[in-house]
Amino acid sequence: MNLPQILYLACGLFCIGLYGALTRRNVIGLLLGVEIMSNAVNVLLLGFSRFTGQVAAQAFAVFVMALTVAEVVVGLALVILLYRTLRHTDVDEANHLRS
Amino acid sequence: MSALLVGYALLLATMVMLALFVTLGKNLVHSVLGLALLLCATAILFVVLRAPFLAGIQVMLYAGGVVTLMLFAIMLTRRGAGVEIVNQHIPGRRLPAALMCVGLFGLLARAIHQTSNWPAMRSGPLPTTRDLGLSLFIDHALAFEVLGILLLAATIGAIVVARKRDHGEPEAQRRYGRTTLPREGKS
Amino acid sequence: MHNLAIQHLVGVAVFAPLATALFLALAVPLRRHGWAAAYVSVASVLVVLAASVTALIQGWGAPPVEFGVTWLKLSGVPVASLGLRVDGLALTMLGVVGLVATCVQVFSLGYMSGEPRPALGRYFTYHSLFVFSMNLLVVAPNLLQFFMGWELVGLTSYLLIGFYYQKPSAAYAAVKAFWMTKLADMGFLVGLLGLYLSTGSFAFNAQQTGLVATATTLALFVAVMGKSAQFPLHVWLPNAMEGPTPVSALLHAATMVAAGVYLLVRAAPLFVNAPTTLHIMLWVGVVTALFASFVALVQTDLKRVLAYSTCAQLGYMVAAAGAGASSAAYFHLVTHAFFKALLFLAAGSVIHAVHSNDMRKMGGLVRVMPLTTAAFGVGTLALMGFPGTAGFFSKDQVLEVILEHAGWAPAGLLLVGVGLTSLYMTRAFLLTFFGAQRCGAHAHPHESPTSMLAPLVLLMGGALATGWFGSSLAAATGHHYHFHFSVVGGAATLVSFAGLGLGLLFYGKAGLAGDERVVLRSLATFVNRALVDRAYAWTFSVVALGIARSCAWFDRYIIDGAMNYTGYVSLLAGRRLQRFQTGNVIDYVAAVVVGTLMLLTWGLFQ
Repeated sequence: MNLPQILYLACGLFCIGLYGALTRRNVIGLLLGVEIMSNAVNVLLLGFSRFTGQVAAQAFAVFVMALTVAEVVVGLALVILLYRTLRHTDVDEANHLRS
Repeated sequence: MSALLVGYALLLATMVMLALFVTLGKNLVHSVLGLALLLCATAILFVVLRAPFLAGIQVMLYAGGVVTLMLFAIMLTRRGAGVEIVNQHIPGRRLPAALMCVGLFGLLARAIHQTSNWPAMRSGPLPTTRDLGLSLFIDHALAFEVLGILLLAATIGAIVVARKRDHGEPEAQRRYGRTTLPREGKS
Repeated sequence: MHNLAIQHLVGVAVFAPLATALFLALAVPLRRHGWAAAYVSVASVLVVLAASVTALIQGWGAPPVEFGVTWLKLSGVPVASLGLRVDGLALTMLGVVGLVATCVQVFSLGYMSGEPRPALGRYFTYHSLFVFSMNLLVVAPNLLQFFMGWELVGLTSYLLIGFYYQKPSAAYAAVKAFWMTKLADMGFLVGLLGLYLSTGSFAFNAQQTGLVATATTLALFVAVMGKSAQFPLHVWLPNAMEGPTPVSALLHAATMVAAGVYLLVRAAPLFVNAPTTLHIMLWVGVVTALFASFVALVQTDLKRVLAYSTCAQLGYMVAAAGAGASSAAYFHLVTHAFFKALLFLAAGSVIHAVHSNDMRKMGGLVRVMPLTTAAFGVGTLALMGFPGTAGFFSKDQVLEVILEHAGWAPAGLLLVGVGLTSLYMTRAFLLTFFGAQRCGAHAHPHESPTSMLAPLVLLMGGALATGWFGSSLAAATGHHYHFHFSVVGGAATLVSFAGLGLGLLFYGKAGLAGDERVVLRSLATFVNRALVDRAYAWTFSVVALGIARSCAWFDRYIIDGAMNYTGYVSLLAGRRLQRFQTGNVIDYVAAVVVGTLMLLTWGLFQ
């Protein structure tokens, strides 16, 4: 077990999550991808914490978690709003940013 | 020793598999459950990385809170009983997204590969939960407080955004969504 | 303590008018009130006069000092500074500017009293700006600051010539003056650059040699020709008479046009190194003096007579500077400032009374305007060089140094010019103030109010007395001069009397009919029309239009073409880029990812 392994894992998780976020049609699927990405960041932070002994990395992981939770809460609220206004949760159809 | 290593390798492989399942799976509910499993596996990894406190939060907050929230959201947004929630991919996006992700991973892996002087496994004392608490409340006290305000704001914002409105302009709301806050006295 | 006081006094003299101009420009109600602005401006110029005179008295005989701040640095080396150079030259010139400006502004109180109030406020704001610009130029410690003042006086000149901007001829004259002087100012710019490239400084006494010195000083001299109305760049000055008469007195006779000569005096150490330039200068001055004197003979507009006379007198100064005697040029500048301002203000008084510039509509005014007549008479005598008046001493010195340094040819030609000067001034004086009254039945000329007469009296004193201070003036600028009778001086006086007699003979009895003498008329008309106007017409039609046509072609096909092509490309690019604006969140996320990828690639493979 060494640091590069953890880093490869984190990067892999991040890229998989990104793929999900980029390709999912359902907004909730998109949020799942984002969850995986932030989780990957936490893995990275804790890996560094383990190998360098710095506590700040753990503190930052706490912050990342809290931010992710806030993001999920607001994101899901938006999903519900989106569903209520459009009667579906399809990202591809929600292109109202255009006009 | 080798048993531990095998377990470690298994953990990593499981995490990647779960992530792929979450991302590529056809059924949205299954994906969410897969995410819960992935988060639990990550918690185990945190324990391996000697961060038991964060492993605890991970299980409670993510696996408990977030996943439940998502399941509720799915339930609220399905179009009626008996309709299976499909979790399709957008066909035209798959190839460019895959290229981007593989490219990103390639670049990151190259950066990791190029770096040679990684710190070795630390043999000295590791930060304990007590150290984490001290760090959060002394070194990062301000950030921590700001984070509390952020969470409060997110909660209130979520309530405002998701609240059911009876007195909107139905046509405009149906087409464009609510763009202004409700007027006073109408809520 | 001594230096501090001088520094403060000179600073007040320079910056009080600037403060006044800014104040009047910003305090709109005050300016539009007119009279308030006028009194503020007059008070400010009185302060300037007091400061200048006090500084002159305090700094008399003191060694030159400089105060200033470094303005431009080029890789740590100071290139140019802004500041005050206080020496005899600057102090005396400050005194002259302050005195004439005060006289002119007080005179304007009466002369401009009929103007609408906002126009009056504008007028005095410009005047304050002018005093600042002129003083900035006078105290400049180097050519760069000199150039700033130079351009600023050009601007105020433009503004004041175009004061009656509703009048098409005034607007035209303003633009003409601006373009002519601006064209000449390109020479100043070239000279500045040349000086800096060859010596690395903008100092007045930078040392240059050979061809570089000649080129630099020639470029500077082109600017002088424009500003001081030397042939052939003099054409703007007669047109500049479209401005109010006090403006003509201050800017286009006494101070602004003299800035060119002041530059020649100030930068004399530069010009000394370029004998070729000095030679050209001498002959330009001589030609201008003669030519302008001829043209002045046939003008019917009183102000134009004085304008051409100014050209001619500036020609004397330039010729003196060209002969290497800058102190003589400066002496004539100072005396000329007084008597020409006097002449212009007296002419203004006349114009105020008869509401016309045309000498054919004047005449016989001595009976109703005795004091103005006396003032104009004194100015005329001083300009003619009547023994004892200011012009006598300075013109005598100019001729003497030219004979000494440049030989008999230019001196002889200038002597002819002296005779012509007497002739045309006698003509103007007689036609304006004597003979029959021709101003029409409806006009009732009357003597001007006190605010206009007081400056006349003051300047009369100046025109009579300045000549006696020649040796002090020379001492202040570091030269020696003592008046003595010389052959050329005596000859000049005789020629001047001859011109006077000829003028009396031609115009004494005949009055306006004296103009009909064939010899005078044909000669002057030929010189003016045939030579100059034709030359300008040719230059314009062939050279300027040719350049303009090629510029038009370049503009249409190269510049416009480039513009159109740029527009076309932008349009095309816009249409293409439009597709990125899908309004879909995922596409924006993808864009972020692509950007990240690019940054990463750059970071990894640079």
